[in-house]
Order: sequence, then structure tokens, then C-alpha cells
Amino acid sequence: MEEMVMGTLDLITASPHSSSSSSSSPTTDNNNNNNHPSSSSSISTRRTDLSTDLRLGLSLSPSHYSTPSSREQRSSFDWPPVKSTLRCTLVEKSQISHFVKVYMEGIPIGRKLNLLAHHNYHALVKALANMFRTTILCPNSHQLPLISGNNVHVLTYEDQEGDWMMVGDVPWEMFLTSVKKLKITRADRC
Amino acid sequence: MKKAAYSFPEEVLEHVFSFIISDKDRSSISLVCKSWYEIERWCRRKVFVGNCYAVSPPILIKRFPELRSVTLKGKPHFADFNLVPEGWGGFACPWIRAMAGAYPWLEEIRLKRMVVSDESLEIIAKSFRNFKVLVLSSCEGFTTEGLAAIAANCRNLRELDLRESEVEDLSGRWLSDFPDSYTSLESLNISCLGNEVNLLALERLVSRCPNLKTLRLNRAVPLDRLPNLLRGAPQLAELGTGAYTSEMRPDVFSNLAEAFAGCKQLKTLSGFWDVLPSYLPAVYPICSQLISLNLSYATVQSPELIKLVSLCEKLQKLWVLDYIEDDGLEVLAASCKDLRELRVFPSDPFGLEPNVALTEQGLVSVSEGCPKLQSVLYFCRQMSNAALNTIARNRPNLTRFRLCIIEPRSPDYLTLQPLDDGFGAIVEHCKDLRRLSLSGLLTDRVFEYIGTYGKKLEMLSVAFAGDSDLGLHHVLSGCDNLRKLEIRDCPFGDKALLANAAKLETMRSLWMSSCSVSFGACKVLGQKMPRLNVEVMDESGPPDSRPESSPVEKLYVYRTVAGPRLDMPGFVWTMDDDSALRIS
Repeated sequence: MEEMVMGTLDLITASPHSSSSSSSSPTTDNNNNNNHPSSSSSISTRRTDLSTDLRLGLSLSPSHYSTPSSREQRSSFDWPPVKSTLRCTLVEKSQISHFVKVYMEGIPIGRKLNLLAHHNYHALVKALANMFRTTILCPNSHQLPLISGNNVHVLTYEDQEGDWMMVGDVPWEMFLTSVKKLKITRADRC
Repeated sequence: MKKAAYSFPEEVLEHVFSFIISDKDRSSISLVCKSWYEIERWCRRKVFVGNCYAVSPPILIKRFPELRSVTLKGKPHFADFNLVPEGWGGFACPWIRAMAGAYPWLEEIRLKRMVVSDESLEIIAKSFRNFKVLVLSSCEGFTTEGLAAIAANCRNLRELDLRESEVEDLSGRWLSDFPDSYTSLESLNISCLGNEVNLLALERLVSRCPNLKTLRLNRAVPLDRLPNLLRGAPQLAELGTGAYTSEMRPDVFSNLAEAFAGCKQLKTLSGFWDVLPSYLPAVYPICSQLISLNLSYATVQSPELIKLVSLCEKLQKLWVLDYIEDDGLEVLAASCKDLRELRVFPSDPFGLEPNVALTEQGLVSVSEGCPKLQSVLYFCRQMSNAALNTIARNRPNLTRFRLCIIEPRSPDYLTLQPLDDGFGAIVEHCKDLRRLSLSGLLTDRVFEYIGTYGKKLEMLSVAFAGDSDLGLHHVLSGCDNLRKLEIRDCPFGDKALLANAAKLETMRSLWMSSCSVSFGACKVLGQKMPRLNVEVMDESGPPDSRPESSPVEKLYVYRTVAGPRLDMPGFVWTMDDDSALRIS
């Protein structure tokens, strides 16, 4: 069998091929293995992008095999190996609700609000204004409060880095991923 | 002289054989001599076919004419993770048709990863007078109409288990098709159904079946209907709840707690979708009798969950999300000394950063505290050789060890070295290890360890590992008891495969996807090994439209006595003699 194998391999490797993804090369160049893992977004790997294979395979350190930016939207169907019933439940769970705490300045007891129940800043502000029975200035609104005093508020949030920011500067979707907590503060404080 | 074989009359031998139930033993008996083969095949009642394409219905029926129970498995295991395209195969229909004709007294059909049509279910419903058990595990292709046929016609049905199947749920009406006179239900698992079943019909069914031991509801059964159901079946041993949430009302809670307390035989709990932690204490009174707890759908982090676990002193099996964290696993290790099996699933498998404080430490704690731990499935984001070493030394009695470090090719987070030594320790110390799944950064070395020490290993799953063919060669040449090998995204190619071709006939199957096996090698394998089906899957077009040296997308090789299958879809090519010649 060995002879047959070697003979066959000669036949196979004799034909010119630029694909370096075959690991049957006689030299045991273990480090130059270009078998790049399937990109996270494809269900089945396509072996057509040899240039990518070559480029990525030339590096030796494991960290090169996938860069953080390429993994940003990791919605791979086949890794990690989680069955679809669980997968669906988890995805659904992460989609349906994203409850955050909301405090209003001066009131020690906070509320909780599902951000995903709203589709934009306007809806969010409206819901909060109702919840806390106050006027909340819409983000990016340039109007100056005509009534000064303590019944006009603005909406701020704590982001993933622990900083308190004004709500409304970044796109809604980006806001959703960075918000940890909300706080309704008096407008004259900001 | 010849007389030795006939020293007992057939009936006596048959009677003796009836005490032999294991397939392996039955197989051994049949190899003793021709007359034993004959006697054995006529009195074999139960058959397990691990790969439905390894044999054909006519061959099965010809050899075993009097079966009462048949188990068939279809798609390869990686189908669970979407690696097998739609339409691949595993069709139950030809089997069911054939069995309908040959086995009028068939009582049990168990199918796993097969495509089952409503038509097949109707055939089952009408063909087998004494039909008792239908288990459809991870199957698909049927609707609630098929279930209606079963409900309406199978007078002697004991078990209907649809675990993890994909059912087109057209209406919950089917449950009402069980006639009022039907009372023999012992086990019902409808947890996979999407829509609401007729709750009144369910309640009546449950209360009129005095032998009902297992009831696994689907998510759509509201929590406030659970107490009624439990009161109708106080003899229940296994319960899967529906959604475990409702408006917080004191009467719902007390009703629930009372109903649970009334189930003195309850040993297994599952379900808990949408769990509202404040309702978990309703279960506390029966925790001390629980041996199995499945909290994989309890997608909430809460101290009540950990409290629940800590009260289950007799717990043998726990399936839970990583919300339990290292702290919770420490509590588990301290409280559940009878634990045999632990599975920890990821709550955020696609996130880049850890969302919970679950590390390798949790598993180490459990390995230290639970002396009977045999089976582990653990998803985490970091691992070290030291931890694996500790686990191996703590628990040499492990028989199943599946570790999934979520980021492919993650090294030992402490030393940045590959995890070869850690997994090496596992296979070296756990001498009875039968199943192993690898992950993390791994070189050919780990396969050398596996080939050297994994003598009892039957199933190995590999992903994003290894450097060269040597890795695959170590496994194929060293693991004497290997039955199933599944590999994805590894640099394994032709050499090891062809050099170990004969080994493949001793195994059930080999799966290789996104590896470096060339089309040419597949053809060679197919030509040289007529008792193997070598199937190449490629959704981008016929493999012969590319050079022979091109790697194939997916390769599935399995031994068979039935020849190449005839039901392949367009993206599957078989590499047997004829077709290989035809293609080239």
C-alpha cells in the first residue's frame, strides 16, 4: 500500500498547482501550513481564495489566524459547535431583551427598561419621559430650555468604559452595544 | 464430530440466546458456527444500525426476519452543527416501507438524524398492530399531521419522543387525536414543538394514563397550567416544564410549589425556558430527590439557580449554561458528590469577550470535588495545560471528555504554549476514555499522545488542530478501538488517509471537512476500497471540474455492505469504481 501511495502521490503532486493547502508535500515544513481555518461567516469553506491562504499562512503565530475585526460579526452557523435548538434560544434571548437600569437624579430607587423594545432615540426618550413623568430633552435638539428649573432633564448613559456620556451622539445601534446604565439628570447640571 | 453443535435442541439454544441482549454478544454468538448463526438470526429481536447506509433494508430483513425493535442513525454527527447541507440524505422512508411489509409485529422504531416524512409516519401508524415506541431524535421532515396519524391509530403506544426534532407545527390539534379509550402512554416528549398544543386535551391525556412516567412539555405550555398537569400525574418520574415564567402572583407560586411537592417520584427535571428566578424556589422541596437536572434553557444568571443546584445532593447529571460561573461550580463540587455527568454550555457563544466569570477553574473544582465524574462537556474561553493535567490526575475515571475552547487555536493562556501536554495527560491518565473532543492550539504532538494512549477511544472530534498528516496518521494507526472520527479545518491530507485506508474498514465512519484531502486521493481511496463508500461533498460544483490536486470541501467515508447509495443529492459524489472512471 505504501508504494502505491507514494506512486500515486507523485502523480498527484506532479501536476503544477499553486495551492499550498495540500499538506502532502515531502518536506515537513510544518510551520508553513496554509490550511487557514474557515472564515467565520461561511457555512462551507470555499477554497478559491488562495492568495488569502498564502498570505495568512505565512505567519507563524496563532494570533494571525483570525483578526479581531474580521470576527466582529461572528454569526457563524457552524462554530462553536452548539446545537440549533440552544443556538436559537440564546440568539432570541439576546435579541428580545436588553434591560438596563434607569435612575433619575434625586430618586434612589431605579427602574428597569428594555432598550430593544424601542427602535430609536425618540421612542426611548418618550418612554422614559412617561415612566418618570418629566420632560426629557431630545438628544441633538438645539432648543434651549425655555423654562429653567428642575423639571427638565437630559438623558445620559454609562458606557462600557465606565464614562458618563450624553445620549444621542452615536447611531442607535452603536448606542445599544455600548450602554450599560441610564441616568436622567437635570438639564441645568449639564 | 459434528454432533457437538447439535447437542442442544434449537429451542434450548434459542432460550439461552434470549438472555443475551447486547449487540456485541449477539454478534459473537452468530460467529460460532453456521447453526448458531441461523438460530441467532431467527431469534434476534432488536437491531441497532449505527449508519443507515452501512446496510440496506433488504439485507437487514433477509438476515433478521423477526425483529421487534429497530434503531437507525442517519446523518453524520456534524450535521448537528450545520456542516451537512440540506438534502444530504438519511431518508427513513425506504426503511419504513420495507419494514412495514416484513415486520407486522414490529414494536419499536428509534431514528436519529433522519429525514422522516408524514407519509412514513402514516405507514407506521397503519402497519404495526402492536406498535409501542417511537423515538425521533434530531429528525426532520414531518409535520403535526404525521403525529396525528400516530395518535389516532397506535392503540398500544407507550412512548412518543420527539427530542430535538424539527417539526413543522401546523396545529396543536393532533394531541386530541388520541382516543378517549387510549390510556397506555408512559412517555411523551414534545419539547421541540413550536406551537401550543390543545391544553385541555393534554390535561385529559395525562390524567387518564396511569403509567405516565415521562412528560416533557414544550415551551408554549404556560406555567400556570403546570400544577394541574402535575396533579394529574403524581407518579411522574421525569418532567420537562414549559416556559417557567408568568406574572408574579403569590397564588401561582404556592400552587406550583404544592404540585411539585406532590410528585414524590420526580427524579428528572428539564425545560425552564424564560426562567423567572423567583419561581425557582417552588422546586426546592423536591431537590433532594433529583438525579438529573437540565437547565440549558434557563437563560438567566441568578443566585436561585445556584441554590437550586446546591440542594440536589443526589444529583448525577447536570446540564447548565455558563451563567453558573466558577463560583457556582464550586458549590456544585461541594454539594453534589454523586455527580457523574456535567455539561456547561455557552450563554454567549458568538461574543468576543467573556460575558461570565467561567474559566477552567470551574471544571477543576468539579474534578476535585466529584469523585464519580465520568462525562464532561465544557465550553469555556481559556484553558491551561496545568488545569488539564490536574483534571486528568483527579479524575482518571473519565470516559467522555469534550472540551470546547470557544476561540479556535487558543493556546494555554498562562504559558502561550499549545495544549498538547494537557490533552496528553487526559488520554494518558483516563485509561477508559471512550470519547474525546479537542480544542485550542494543538500540534501533531497531541495526536501522538492520543495514538499512544487512547487505546479505548471510540470517538474523536477534532477542529482547527494539528500541523501535518502525521497527526492523522498517529490517530489512525494508534487508536485500536476507533469507530468514529470527525475532523474539520485541519491540515490533514492524502498521505495519512491512503496509508491507513484499511483502518477505515474497521471504523463506522470518517468525516473530514475543510482539510487538505485532494480529489485525486478520494478517487484512489474509492477505487481501492470497494467496501467503503467514499463520498465527496462539494456545493461549488463537480469536483472533476477542478484539478485532481484540489482539496475537496467535505469528505465522508464509511464502511458498508450495501454498495454506493443511490439517493445522493447533486452535491454529493461517490468515489466508487464506476463513477470514478466515469468522471475521469
